[in-house]
Amino acid sequence: MIRYFSNIWQSITTLLIGLRITLVHLAKARKGIVTLQYPEERWPRPERNIGFSHDSYNVIRSRLHVDIDDCIGCLKCVRACPVDCIHIKTVKVEKGTDILEANHIGITSNGTQKRLLLTRFDIDMSECCYCNLCVYPCPEDCIFMTGGPNSSKQEIDYEFSEYNRSDLIYRFAKVPKDQVEKYTPPPKEKVKIDVAG
Amino acid sequence: MELLLQKFSEVSFLSGIPSALLFVFAATLIAVSLFMFVAVNAIVAVYAERKISAFMQDRLGPMGQGVGLHAGKWGLLQTVADAIKLLIKEDIIPSLADRKLFILAPFILFIGAFIVFVGIPFNQHILVADFNIGVFYIIAMSSIGVIGIILAGYGSNNKWALYGAMRSAAQIISYEIPLALSLLTVIMLVGSLKMQDIIIAQHGLIWGILPNWFIFNNPFTFIAFFIFFISGVAEVNRTPFDLPEAESELVAGFHTEYSGMRWAFFFLAEYANMFIVAAMSAILFLGGWQSPIPGYMDSPAWGLFWFMGKAIFLIFVMMWFRWTFPRLRTDQLMQMCWKYFLPISFINILGVGLWDLWLN
Repeated sequence: MIRYFSNIWQSITTLLIGLRITLVHLAKARKGIVTLQYPEERWPRPERNIGFSHDSYNVIRSRLHVDIDDCIGCLKCVRACPVDCIHIKTVKVEKGTDILEANHIGITSNGTQKRLLLTRFDIDMSECCYCNLCVYPCPEDCIFMTGGPNSSKQEIDYEFSEYNRSDLIYRFAKVPKDQVEKYTPPPKEKVKIDVAG
Repeated sequence: MELLLQKFSEVSFLSGIPSALLFVFAATLIAVSLFMFVAVNAIVAVYAERKISAFMQDRLGPMGQGVGLHAGKWGLLQTVADAIKLLIKEDIIPSLADRKLFILAPFILFIGAFIVFVGIPFNQHILVADFNIGVFYIIAMSSIGVIGIILAGYGSNNKWALYGAMRSAAQIISYEIPLALSLLTVIMLVGSLKMQDIIIAQHGLIWGILPNWFIFNNPFTFIAFFIFFISGVAEVNRTPFDLPEAESELVAGFHTEYSGMRWAFFFLAEYANMFIVAAMSAILFLGGWQSPIPGYMDSPAWGLFWFMGKAIFLIFVMMWFRWTFPRLRTDQLMQMCWKYFLPISFINILGVGLWDLWLN
């Protein structure tokens, strides 16, 4: 009989303890919320101690970025890429001239005169394997990974969250879309071989 | 209802219409407005439940932010969007289900909840019908729902659904007994089953300071209130008594196979039942539409406010229970009902009888 009543007493008290905990959480709802509403709010990137300066940490693998004004269209990065995720198309133009309507500047920051106009420079980051191999051959140092030693040039970006998969193709060419046709040379006509003749 | 018919008879251009037609018109008007009330209640309660659960777990719940405010400010439109989604969703009936029963079940469950609203007084005047047997009617009609649950479980031809239905039959029928017994204490004190009589009997003060609500009337009714309320929570299959739909064991229990609009009816019924249990507790033990300070703020508008306030508070308590307590096992559930609630309810009845004899 004593056990019967102690059971009742115990259940009431323990239930009240549980109710108190949830009520406290409800009352403190404004302070203690852990949810971050992702696209609008982000966690701060943790500062990590890697034993040496961030600037000398040159193997950071985040996202490829191209300073298109410095690119001379040599295709070395395309050849270096093991997964073929870089696509470049170029058109020959007069050496060293600015074509303002195509956002083309004839001289790189290193002083090299450009002889090619880039109509297309796409990097498909959904295919990229972050091997960093395209960075080394670049004669103008214009392709690099964002952040790390390059954070002065381009802020780090490691999220790649897009609504559409095709948004992961980063298009760097500055030639306006409606003018691409204008600078694309006409396709060469196929020479017909007259077999019968 | 009588009031509405009387108002109709006063309007001149309606005088030519036969009274039977007027009666049908009045009944339809009331039914539609009650249905609107049930639907709005469900939409608001679902939103409140999601928000309360989120805050109790340190989350945000439905939110809208940024461009276009996805679900409105603070996610206010979330349940509206859910309702629209349920309306346009495909209606799936399993090929091996018992078609007629499968279609019938959600409506029986919903009618069981809906028909009870006829007997609930919202304030001094807003009451569809004040029966002589008001409490009895409500207890009887709210038991209809279990038929819907069993039909849903049986008609789905699904083992989880059937398990859920069998559990709910055992649970609802057991908890009906302490529910009715603790309700009897109030009826013994009032001497009437009429809803308005019960509320009017709670007018005035008791012990000098407290309002003369039955929860404060004597220690036995104080215990009876908690037995009534907890049994009520068990009746509407809410956590911690959600064995019929135990989602970690039975997928979704008796409504596993339901989708779209039929599933929405189960949800409407659940939230309508929640309101009924809260409203009944408020009416029987917390003075219904009576103001907590007798004599002040007693007008019908305030009456509606007090009644809704009490009911909404009790609905909040139910949600609070849900997000605090883990689910009971079947044997614990039965033990709680038959070993604890039932004997205590009997002692309560005896105690209230003696108390009433001693004082009067």
